[in-house]
Amino acid sequence: MFFTKSALLAVLAAAILPVYAQQGPTDPQIAAIVVTANQVDIDAGKLAASHTKSKEVRQFAQQMVTDHSGVNKQATALVTKLKVKPEPNDTSRSLQKGGDENLAKLKKLKGAGFDKAYVDHEVEYHQAVLDAIDKTLVPSARNAELKDLLVKVRPAFVAHLDHAKHLQSALGK
Amino acid sequence: MGASGKFALALAVALPFAAAAATHTVTIEGMKFVPETVTVKKGDRIVWKNKDLVPHTATAAGSFDSKSIASGASWSHVVRKPGRYDVVCLFHPGMKATLVVQ
Repeated sequence: MFFTKSALLAVLAAAILPVYAQQGPTDPQIAAIVVTANQVDIDAGKLAASHTKSKEVRQFAQQMVTDHSGVNKQATALVTKLKVKPEPNDTSRSLQKGGDENLAKLKKLKGAGFDKAYVDHEVEYHQAVLDAIDKTLVPSARNAELKDLLVKVRPAFVAHLDHAKHLQSALGK
Repeated sequence: MGASGKFALALAVALPFAAAAATHTVTIEGMKFVPETVTVKKGDRIVWKNKDLVPHTATAAGSFDSKSIASGASWSHVVRKPGRYDVVCLFHPGMKATLVVQ
């Protein structure tokens, strides 16, 4: 897939090969990455839930809104408790840009084309975030509670990826 | 011994013979039901405790449905009819468990 994939790869590359080559993102940067990553998927889910004609895609989209809102609520509560102020950085900005581009593209589509583009992007997005969790965010997190949160949220991303892949193959038939 | 004392004694004697209903806890964590299979006696209470960051349900089609259990919340249910129940989370298709009621 055209620019969405390359945008995601760019996000991933930014996450894996940070400018701060030696230390990886700091806790305030990780907080911004987590909140942005969840928010862009909430935004895409809201758009998809109101645009799709497919019951399965709508259910999935609503689930993304519910689950990523739940994660963000607890992530925000934790960083508030820890007095960590989320600090925007190259990775969080790339995620936001990728999310904005995805929304702009989806808004031009309808019907089966919309469903396919949304679900394809969800598969790539969840895979990219999982890679970032494993390769960058968990290894870089310094605060134990922040690290725990990242570890705890991982299975939800795996379940979402499986669900998105299942939808993707169902739509392809 | 007063009347209440006699009653307490009678209860203490009778209780071991009555089937005491137990409470079993199933934890929902990491997008899984833990343990995945739970065996209980009819009349026992099962508590589903959601330790995940996202809401879940504990649902056995045609028998019981917790509706949404918020993160950090619990839901409990007493199953009176013996049998084998397939329990799923309606929100996350991959989440499956088995409840055996004897």
